[in-house]
Amino acid sequence: MTSEHAVRLECADVLAVLSDYLDGELAPEQRAAVEAHLATCGRCTRFGGEFGAVVTALRRTLGSTSDVSPETGERLALALRTK
Amino acid sequence: MGDSLARAQAGDREAFTELVECHRGAVFRFARHLTTDTASAEDVLQETFITALQRLAEYRGEGSFKGWLFAIARTKASQQRRHRRGEPETWEPVETLETLARDAGFGAPLNPEELTSRVEQRARLEAALARLPLEEREAVVLRDVEGLSGEETSAALNLALPAMKSRLHRGRLRLVAALRKEAGRDE
Repeated sequence: MTSEHAVRLECADVLAVLSDYLDGELAPEQRAAVEAHLATCGRCTRFGGEFGAVVTALRRTLGSTSDVSPETGERLALALRTK
Repeated sequence: MGDSLARAQAGDREAFTELVECHRGAVFRFARHLTTDTASAEDVLQETFITALQRLAEYRGEGSFKGWLFAIARTKASQQRRHRRGEPETWEPVETLETLARDAGFGAPLNPEELTSRVEQRARLEAALARLPLEEREAVVLRDVEGLSGEETSAALNLALPAMKSRLHRGRLRLVAALRKEAGRDE
């Protein structure tokens, strides 16, 4: 096994748990292992940054949008009144 | 909210109205992401709260009330799609994680400012989200847009936690890929 191959395997491991890492759902030792890898791998660090930026933006950009319009709210209230 | 729920379950319609006003925005948002059009989302919104009213006594407090509403909304959206298309819904993930990651730009990063500018634009983000397979979109919307916990999201989707996490991770990767693809078209 070449050292390049070993690095790729480590990257694949990090990739597989990136969501859990971001969500704070890794065990402390797993989290430490991911952070040790990130400290030496620019590729994973850059990708993790992009990935995290998109996930964070979902809540910030879409999480408070499109409350129902007054008309929709009225139709909903009317539908419920007849039940 | 807990007080409104208890009163609504005891038959207080005013309390149920308070629950509707508290949750209708989130349910409508979720419905819009599942149906991708406003008229259908409005139908899902109405049917969800009518069903919630009729079945309120069945809610026993296992999991959040909001998650319970999302589970109803998901069923209503699914029924509506089946009714419109007249076909069963089937879905199997086919890509490996590595393929998804490559499409998402693993190893070939965008200019960070470029990606940031895209994710801050609501229309672009909504369009990218709408391109996800439904099963992944449901997980991403509940977890990342609505902020449900992993357990709440699993319960709303009637999935075991590992299965939900797998869909969520794939959906997030696919979303990054969709945003990058759009970025490539703009260049």
